[in-house]
Amino acid sequence: MTRERFRYSEEVDVDVYKLVDNLRSCLACGKCVGNCPVARLTPSYNSRQIIRDVLSGNSDRWLRSEEIWRCLWCANCYTVCPMDINYPLLMLQLRYKAMESGYGMQYIAPFKKFALRAREDGLTFAPGGEKGRARVMRIRSNIGAVPWPEISDKAKAEYKALFDLCGTTKFVEDLDVENPPPLDLAYRKGRIA
Amino acid sequence: MIRKRVLSPEERIPDIPETIFLFRSCTGSMEYPGTENSIKEICKILGVQVVMDPDQTCCSGYLLTCSAYKPEFSLAVTARNLSLAESRKLDVYAFCNGCYGYICELSHIMLHNPDYKKMIDGVIDQLGYKYEGKTRIFHMQELYYRLKDKIVENVKRPLDGLRVGVHYGCHYLARQYGILDEGGYPTFIEEIIEAIGGTPIFYKERQACCGGAVGRGFTHKENVVHAHLYKKFMSAKKENIECIVTVCPGCNTSLDREQPAIMERSGEAINIPIIDIGQMIALTLDVDVQKLGFEANSVSLDSVLNKLGIH
Repeated sequence: MTRERFRYSEEVDVDVYKLVDNLRSCLACGKCVGNCPVARLTPSYNSRQIIRDVLSGNSDRWLRSEEIWRCLWCANCYTVCPMDINYPLLMLQLRYKAMESGYGMQYIAPFKKFALRAREDGLTFAPGGEKGRARVMRIRSNIGAVPWPEISDKAKAEYKALFDLCGTTKFVEDLDVENPPPLDLAYRKGRIA
Repeated sequence: MIRKRVLSPEERIPDIPETIFLFRSCTGSMEYPGTENSIKEICKILGVQVVMDPDQTCCSGYLLTCSAYKPEFSLAVTARNLSLAESRKLDVYAFCNGCYGYICELSHIMLHNPDYKKMIDGVIDQLGYKYEGKTRIFHMQELYYRLKDKIVENVKRPLDGLRVGVHYGCHYLARQYGILDEGGYPTFIEEIIEAIGGTPIFYKERQACCGGAVGRGFTHKENVVHAHLYKKFMSAKKENIECIVTVCPGCNTSLDREQPAIMERSGEAINIPIIDIGQMIALTLDVDVQKLGFEANSVSLDSVLNKLGIH
């Protein structure tokens, strides 16, 4: 008689976009944890534990946590994974799922202004202020390049159009900076190096 | 079918391209414009024509991984950008690890999930674009490695034993399959450094991430990113590294711009100049230093330039 060590839920409930189809093949070997620069600094972030909890249908405690927002997406875990589990994509999905449940808004809201800026420029991190723009133009002029990156008006207009067509404009505008929903930070206390 | 992990440069780039579609990077063109310029200068010397399309936009991967974009949007932007290269029948060469990783990953998702492909086709069709997935995606460092011998032939100012630490960045090696080196312990940039006269130095935290990705530099700066980078810089300092070479202007931003704050917090004098591989090669090919835009760097490169006898 074989004994089940723990029961998997029917569906991997955080896989909103169905990107990590081999999550079930996780061997729980822990190589990912050993290679994680974040786990080294803050042991409460443990990728093996996160995968196990997701598979057994207990992802909720991670969705509420601050830990899932620490991942640097360096993919060291993916590099060493013997089963080729694309853990960074799981992280992306966990974060979307957390947002859906109303958690973690304070880790996304800071990017609202960058996203709205990018919508206008067609470039991420174009400085918004006059001073920053003048700096870019000065450095580019000094090396003999055109002062501003050559991006056509057509490109900017189409980038904006894609923003609207894919519903990202509304998505970004709805990110609430002033009133982030309450978040349980219990895991955080006293664990950060 | 077994996919091959490591390819030789000849397998990866069988024919040296006459013309490349250089994928504009946001940090590369605004934070460190010298990185973009150095590629143009190097390609001029190596006889490769560089095409940049003004219609190309940001790859839109960074803010996607910050969860500030919906994936549909970034998929559509990728399809649109790649269709521009496709219509010119050119291969895409990205010089930012971020751009490279994101366009590879997003195009892979589209080409392997018919549902997503159909959805995105419907979106970009409204703007008059069509994406078929014919264009191949490369990183500039692959071309440098492929043309290493040709670069060495043109070296006019060898690095003279400069102690160089390499920072590989993550998103290129994270591809894992069909790349130039093994993600666990890559050495191909060290080979380039050695070929142009430098002394590659292996330091303990060589493969540690720059920490700037997915927006953690904004949300977890003090508790994660600074602590992480402090370890990296200290291990580089221990080996007396004179400068760190990166292959990604995004890593450049993180390692260079955060350094003064880490020095202030820790009270340690780090002062390790950060330089892009393209800028480094351009220096040895005797490209005018004015064109490499080192004034953009927060940590001064004077120590490196003095050692090489450039003023």
